[in-house]
Amino acid sequence: MALIAAKKCRESFSELFDFYAPRVKSYMLRLGASDNEAEDLAQDVLVTVWRKADMYDRKQASVSTWIFRIARNRRIDRFRKASRPELDADEPMLRPPDIEQPDEALDRAQIEESVRAELAKLPHEQLELLQAAFYEGLSHSEIATRFGLPLGTVKSRIRLAFGRLRGQLEPGGTDA
Amino acid sequence: MMQETSPPSFSELYSAYAAGQLDPGFSLLLETQSMLRSDVRGALAVSETISGIMFETATPVAMSAGAGARALDLIDALEREEDLPARSAPSDAELAELPEPLRDAAFEAFDLAGWQGTAPGIRRMKLDVKSELEVELYRIQPNARVPRHSHGGTEFTLVVAGGFTDETGSYGPGDLAVKGPDDTHQPVGDAGEVCFALAVRDAGLKFTGVMGMIQRVLGR
Repeated sequence: MALIAAKKCRESFSELFDFYAPRVKSYMLRLGASDNEAEDLAQDVLVTVWRKADMYDRKQASVSTWIFRIARNRRIDRFRKASRPELDADEPMLRPPDIEQPDEALDRAQIEESVRAELAKLPHEQLELLQAAFYEGLSHSEIATRFGLPLGTVKSRIRLAFGRLRGQLEPGGTDA
Repeated sequence: MMQETSPPSFSELYSAYAAGQLDPGFSLLLETQSMLRSDVRGALAVSETISGIMFETATPVAMSAGAGARALDLIDALEREEDLPARSAPSDAELAELPEPLRDAAFEAFDLAGWQGTAPGIRRMKLDVKSELEVELYRIQPNARVPRHSHGGTEFTLVVAGGFTDETGSYGPGDLAVKGPDDTHQPVGDAGEVCFALAVRDAGLKFTGVMGMIQRVLGR
């Protein structure tokens, strides 16, 4: 990434392209794009990566997370179709903030490391659910339908897994 | 406001946001809230990290032959015609205080059409974020009253600076007020600071079943 930003190194770009373009394509296909669209979007995303390389900040995100963000936004621009949410009564967004912690600067590298480690430890059935939520962006009820699970089970499993990935033990977060 | 504070738990909005399935108006709301609240900021950072790792570890699908070389050609072509026009200096110092990414959207709207007055001390500005929803920034002077109103659908209002008070309580920076179709209210700007609030509203297309599940009205 540094070489692409500073030196506009074409060789590094080719390596990056070979690794990420097929992953962007895979993501677009998974979300319903046609083969042509997926290929086109993958090109587009990697060209954007080249042009915005100097904006990449390794302290803010890993290369994968950063490229995924670009892919995600490109897809939204292209398809302009996204969900409108409806909030649950216990929706965390609606709560007042907890006693405001002294604003710890987010250590993204540390988050990255611990999420990676915890993901590797998750049992397959939890990983599947997380994938449906965080990669495909399905709602909890859609996930419940796909996996034939009660909604409450989906919610509590995801909440539990998310808590673990955040490095927290959530009180009361038992699996239903 | 309502329950006792428990640890901020997971919201399906966070995963929908991270995966790119949330309406852009709501994404703006969530991103702005994350700038004002460390709990939301942390949850979003973790969510995006999870999505990024899943993206990286998903089974790749081969690109067609020569795709990499074509990308480089495209880059060459683009670089020849580049030189983005420099953005003119923003004309409103107050807006410069808003957190990103709201600030950019506000500048854009300000340059395009500027504020519209709605009542004494109340101004608003439509933001274009390619949302299916109505997205507006409000500026409320201390003690100014927003005329009593109800909503065709559901309205989500995030306080960005200052605060307002209505029949249901007081809202400060980072707080989100939700009003359903049957609620009428009359917010009043809190004394002291000018209040800025971001409203995301269902424009006539009703959110059905207030406070139910996330509903994908528009679907994929």
